[in-house]
Amino acid sequence: MLLALFAGVLLTQIKASPLIKPVPLRNALKQVTKAYGTQFVYDPKFIDGKTTVYNIKANSKKPVEDVLKSILYPNQLLFLYISSNYYSIVPKDQLEVATPGRSNSLNQPMHNSITTAFISKQINVSGTVKDVTGTPLASVTVNEKGTNNTTITNQNGVFNITVTSNEAVLVFSSVGFINMEVTVGTQTNFEIELKRSNSTLGEVVVVGYGTQRKSDLTGSVASVNSKELMQRPVINAEEALAGKVAGVNVATNSGRPGGRTRVSIRGFSSINATNVPLYVVDGIESPNGIDNIDPNNIESISVLKDASSTAIYGTRGANGVIIVTTKRGKKNSSQISYDSYAGVNWLPKELNVLNSQGFLKIEEEQYKNAAKYDSVGFANGKYKDPLKKRMNYLIGNTLGNHELFKLDANGIPQPIYDIDWQKMATRTPISNSHNLSVTGGDKLTNYGLFLGYVKDNGIIKGSSAQRYNIRAVLDRQIKDWLKAGGTFAYSNMNQEGVNDNNGSYDVMRYMIEFVPFIPYKYNDGTYGNSGNYEGLERVDNPLAQINEIKRRYNTNTFTGNTYLNFKLTEGLEFTSTLGVNVYNENDPFFQSSKLVSNKSQASISSSESKFWEWSNRINYVKQLNEDNRIDVLAGAELQKDTYLGWTARTENLSDDYYQWYNLSAGATALAPSSGSTSYQMQSYFGRVNYSFKDKYLVTLTGRDDGSSRFGSNNKFAFFPSGAVAWKISQEDFLKQSKAISNFKLRASYGLTGNSAIGSYRSLATLSTSTYVFNDTRASGSQIGTLANPNLKWEKTAQLDIGLDLGLYNNRINLVADFYSKQTHDLLLDAPVPSSSGYTTVTRNIGSMENKGLEVSLNTVNIDHKNLTWTTNFNISTLKNRVTALGAKNEDIIYGFKDLLLLRVGQSVGSFYGYIRDGIWSTKEAQEAATYGQLPGDLRIRDLNKDGVINGNDRAIIGKGIPDFFGTFSNTVRYKNFDLTLELQYMSGNDVFDNSRNSGEARQGIANSYASVLNAWTPDNQDAVLEQVRPTGAGYAYYMDTRKLQDGSFIRGKNLLLGYTLPASLQHRWGLNNLRVYASFQNFFIITNYEGYDPEVSNYDNDVFSQGVNYASYPKPRSLMLGLNVSF
Amino acid sequence: MNFISNSIISRSLFFVLLIAISSGCKKSLVEKNKSNITQENYFTSASQAVAAINGIYPALQTFQTGNGLNYGEAPFVSIDLIAGHATTLGQSLFNNEMINHKSSPTDPVFKVFWVGFYNGIANANLAIAKIPGIEMDDSQKKSLLGEAYFLRAFYYYYLVRLYGNIPLITEPINFSSPDLYPKAATTDEVYDLIVSDLKEAETSGMPNVDLTGRASVGAAKSLLASVYLTMAGSPLNKGVEYYKLAAEKAKEVLDAGWYSLFNDYAYLHDRAHKNKGELIFQVQYKTGIATNNITPFVTPDKIGISKLPSEIGALMPRAEFVHSYESGDKRAQEKQFFFSEYPAASGSGIIKFGEYALYKFWLLEAAGPNGDRNSDENWTLLRLPQVMLVYAEASNEVSGPTQEAYDQVNLIRKRAELSPLSGLTKDEFREAIWRERYHELCYENKSYFDIQRTRKAFNTSTGHFENALSFKNESGVVFNEQYLLWPIPQSEIDVNANLKQNPGW
Repeated sequence: MLLALFAGVLLTQIKASPLIKPVPLRNALKQVTKAYGTQFVYDPKFIDGKTTVYNIKANSKKPVEDVLKSILYPNQLLFLYISSNYYSIVPKDQLEVATPGRSNSLNQPMHNSITTAFISKQINVSGTVKDVTGTPLASVTVNEKGTNNTTITNQNGVFNITVTSNEAVLVFSSVGFINMEVTVGTQTNFEIELKRSNSTLGEVVVVGYGTQRKSDLTGSVASVNSKELMQRPVINAEEALAGKVAGVNVATNSGRPGGRTRVSIRGFSSINATNVPLYVVDGIESPNGIDNIDPNNIESISVLKDASSTAIYGTRGANGVIIVTTKRGKKNSSQISYDSYAGVNWLPKELNVLNSQGFLKIEEEQYKNAAKYDSVGFANGKYKDPLKKRMNYLIGNTLGNHELFKLDANGIPQPIYDIDWQKMATRTPISNSHNLSVTGGDKLTNYGLFLGYVKDNGIIKGSSAQRYNIRAVLDRQIKDWLKAGGTFAYSNMNQEGVNDNNGSYDVMRYMIEFVPFIPYKYNDGTYGNSGNYEGLERVDNPLAQINEIKRRYNTNTFTGNTYLNFKLTEGLEFTSTLGVNVYNENDPFFQSSKLVSNKSQASISSSESKFWEWSNRINYVKQLNEDNRIDVLAGAELQKDTYLGWTARTENLSDDYYQWYNLSAGATALAPSSGSTSYQMQSYFGRVNYSFKDKYLVTLTGRDDGSSRFGSNNKFAFFPSGAVAWKISQEDFLKQSKAISNFKLRASYGLTGNSAIGSYRSLATLSTSTYVFNDTRASGSQIGTLANPNLKWEKTAQLDIGLDLGLYNNRINLVADFYSKQTHDLLLDAPVPSSSGYTTVTRNIGSMENKGLEVSLNTVNIDHKNLTWTTNFNISTLKNRVTALGAKNEDIIYGFKDLLLLRVGQSVGSFYGYIRDGIWSTKEAQEAATYGQLPGDLRIRDLNKDGVINGNDRAIIGKGIPDFFGTFSNTVRYKNFDLTLELQYMSGNDVFDNSRNSGEARQGIANSYASVLNAWTPDNQDAVLEQVRPTGAGYAYYMDTRKLQDGSFIRGKNLLLGYTLPASLQHRWGLNNLRVYASFQNFFIITNYEGYDPEVSNYDNDVFSQGVNYASYPKPRSLMLGLNVSF
Repeated sequence: MNFISNSIISRSLFFVLLIAISSGCKKSLVEKNKSNITQENYFTSASQAVAAINGIYPALQTFQTGNGLNYGEAPFVSIDLIAGHATTLGQSLFNNEMINHKSSPTDPVFKVFWVGFYNGIANANLAIAKIPGIEMDDSQKKSLLGEAYFLRAFYYYYLVRLYGNIPLITEPINFSSPDLYPKAATTDEVYDLIVSDLKEAETSGMPNVDLTGRASVGAAKSLLASVYLTMAGSPLNKGVEYYKLAAEKAKEVLDAGWYSLFNDYAYLHDRAHKNKGELIFQVQYKTGIATNNITPFVTPDKIGISKLPSEIGALMPRAEFVHSYESGDKRAQEKQFFFSEYPAASGSGIIKFGEYALYKFWLLEAAGPNGDRNSDENWTLLRLPQVMLVYAEASNEVSGPTQEAYDQVNLIRKRAELSPLSGLTKDEFREAIWRERYHELCYENKSYFDIQRTRKAFNTSTGHFENALSFKNESGVVFNEQYLLWPIPQSEIDVNANLKQNPGW
């Protein structure tokens, strides 16, 4: 808007009333301001010393211009109308010449120079800010250099600002872009094009209880913004984080809908307490993780890795901290966004299993070999000739058997069915997600409303996850010293699970092992089960399990979070945050009577968790002088968590119709159960950041934590840390360097803790027991836990040495960190002699070490207007070692079939088992006989050479955790197209695939992998599998190296092609942004592993079981099409 | 800016108030466990005394506890596999190691049993230490304590026979107890405690007979007779004095007439006769409260005769053993103690096993074609024929075969439709009793302990008894000294420097 100048100057003399005492003109003008709301621009030298006797209060009904005339004219002053309620005051003698070309109402010509000077002070400048692609940029800060005069662009990139001179310089700045300066001059309308910055140094990063400029960080903190998170559309925020940060391993161990991720930051710091990082959402701990948060609603995720950044979280910091900041409304904007995708998932590959002919052929061979391995049993008729047996299952048999075979032309029974159960149990479902957000704000208030819906259908029939999200945020600057706001979020997640029992009896196992010659359903509608054919292990077919066993996992999460922020004086702020998290889970289960067990079962397990946190902190930031800057934080926090869980169960329902909806229909009521825990914490924390000459940075942090979980002798603990950083690039000798644009060295050391043991481990409790007297339940009490009054937290000491390097205007950015973590006083459920009646006591015993190197390299390879190419590469190494265990450093053997070993000097997650040296050959018959074995039997290495194969012949045969892992990703943008290729890699990890045990050594009783066709025969002496024979005839299973496979892999994590509508079109259509994309996830995997996917684990709750597979839910390949639109 | 100075006082006040509230909440940081009572504030009422006693019993179910391996491993299987007259089907590595005497101290079953029974002892110790301090009816208190003493003795009796020199814990343990890391006591010391505990139990005023599954005076006396008989033999070799004690104690039970032999062997394994008749003491099970794996474990592997969730064949009698019965012995006939064929569960014809299975433990109501699939039969620990045979064997050692001894054994033979014994020498009578023990009490976890006690193995082809340390049994295994004891679990040795492993392990 151009300045419209009207000057009304009247030189009418007004006689002063003698009764009134003259007041200074300046005060009179203030009274006018107060009475009329008018404002004035003037040079004080023309006002000072002048007075008026005019009574403003008495004349307050008069128009303001009359009043001004009365008080100014007697002083030889004129007033100029600038805009509504805005006047300039000038001396009469300087305003003689009217400005040509402008309408004026001056009663006297104005002085040209004065007019010009005056006008130039009020130049209104406007324009549009875009990026190099022509996309308008919202929320770009426009500042008149050297002043507080600032505005921001609206969602169309448009700004308006009034500056005071032609020489004014406008500074345009926005996170992720290089600042741009423009001198106003005579131009009033600007088309500004901001270039993307290769550097993120100017970014503000969320840290514990505050924010910091990235360039001021002394610790190891990584931040991922929403754009990077949304690059791969996924349901789960952790999955979105996968691969984005060095040192953070997000393992997606299952293809189950809803995602099942396990996050570990810098290895492991605990054995029996948790290895899960601390989650903080908008400043409040989120005790149930971040599954309930829609990734669309996340503004950024910060990952705190080293002790300097995590020590502020004290006893909860040892596993690293993940801070989620959700989106909020932006000032002076209003925007509606809709994001959606739809995708299709499918099983990437089927495993090679026997078909009907293959199975029957093996069955016949087994029978032939039975005589060799069990001559007595064979002679006694223990084994049945399968050819004869099949005659009992012919079409039209009168034995009452199911019809499974028909005679061919030669009179030989041939199978009627040949079913591919993997195909039967899986599907190619469509998933979709919709997200609508309305955000905005004015000068004082921001608001945001976010609605989300996502439905993820699993590739196994009957499995799905569905989530509804509502989130509302509001912030308001109530006074200029008080800001308040809050977030209220509700999330409802419903998962439909298939029968999944880690391989004992479940869909994933039996889609491999269910025999192909028994059908899904017979003509009479009954399910085929493997009890329909003699000699098979009796289970339900996988589709019957899918139909008749229902598991649901329903969670409702409510989070409420409010804050008050007081500005006490400049630089001194006080913030009080109160947050509540209510988490309800309700998991019904039903198994109908139509299955083999012929027994219906129903149960509901529910729980309610309540967590609240009240945190108060005071923050003081002060530039003491040119060289010294401090940033001090002090705070106190209270937390309390309560949990109550209960289960009701019943069996033998009068009708399957009721499922879990009417448990009283069960004829056999099983005992209900319930349990509760609670804990509280009380903490004090503080942090000092000190910066000298913006080159030398020091951070000191401390937290004093008290926890109800600990022994009476050790309620409180203090966790200090310190860090230093040196911005070498700020030194004079590097300041002018063209090559080195940023160079910083960082070092930190500190202590963090882990307190996540059960709530009452320091108390000697009694537990309840159940026994039977007189056919009725008799409950009793028993010894519970062995109390340890000295129980305290684990301590992790961590050293971090880091380097940040930016070259060639930060086109090459390198962040490298070396860390060494030593955990002491491990909270270990340490074995005690069980002669005490107890088996373990929770003790602070044992130590562990994690060392690693993390490197992230980001480069901008091409940076042209129409073509950019960026590369991100990160690698993390991990070396874990147990350094002490228990009182005698005794081995701890645990986990699935005693596969896992904790041993001093070895990595956690070591696999402990036997070594298979192939199969005894005919030539080795004599040696085999000393072990009671025959040629064709399994040859297990006799490690201790005692002539006996038993538990003493086990060794460490592999490990589930990798040596190194990372991501390599490239993004190319050409005009409005962008293409991203993201590769994930991992090396040095093994998979112990127990599916090979059940899939290779149980022939004849269940279906097998096709590999059994290459089992040992006298003509195939070099086989890896023992000669086939009935399971009762000397088959042995060992947790041996046959099940061990190299799990290293390279995965095509994402291939994304996006197209953004050109800015000109967007404008024409009234849009702010429109983008469509296609994302192809998990699109290839290169690995030697022969199962579905080497990134696998059946055991969610045990991080050391990484790589232990037994019929896990396979991971899908997926193709998605997405749309982002905002206006 | 002057605005700030105007309101700074009020704002500071507000701030100070918040700080005061937040730090004024300093509590003692103690949370009560609402789901479990602590030991300190328990033991105040008679009902709590009863609950504490009830809590000692569940450890009895350790016999049927697998170890998470699901291949048919459980102590009641292992104890009979090691003796040599049984085999196992399926793929259990550990069961096969047990049959072939190739186990290692890390095998889970050794640990399961040790952990389970010491847990029972710890619960008994807590009850014995705390119940005397409760104000309650004295006779009830004494009777309850009798149960605790009986169970503690029972657990120690198994532990000492299986593991030899073991820690003798008689007081509750806490974190600072010296007995948290105990030394082993001698076998003698353990037996002393067993005897004194059983004497306490005998005189505690418990009911003579209990039909609900609780300990009774009858059970205590029967167990004590067995203990004395064992003490008389290896390894303590206390000789004739203890045979005399055993005979006397057994006679007390027999004379009292509290128990009577069933007319039908089927009553040994049906639901209707639990804890009745000749059954003196059993581990209790009941569908919906506690189920067990006994029936699936004795059903041949995937044979298709039952509607049980699984058929595992973990404990299968060897044909040689079944054939070792005298001809005409009813117990060896089809569907008495054993069976070798059965109607298919699908209802189509008869399935022949090609081997023998234990009908003795087959719960028809659960397993058969019309069964309810719930394996909840009781596991018998003491029954009348055992006491009768203890009497016969012990009295023979004291004074040769007496008529009273013949009477007892002949009652058992009569039920088996065998002719009565008579006119045997002392040595012949001894072997006859042992054989009867084998045939009557087979697969009831007795034969391994008989081998330990007598150092004799049953030769199924001759019907005679051989030196156990040189005789190759039908599993092809010769006992050595090592296998006369189980190993102390490796995990226990690892964690307690005061324990020594048994010889050979």
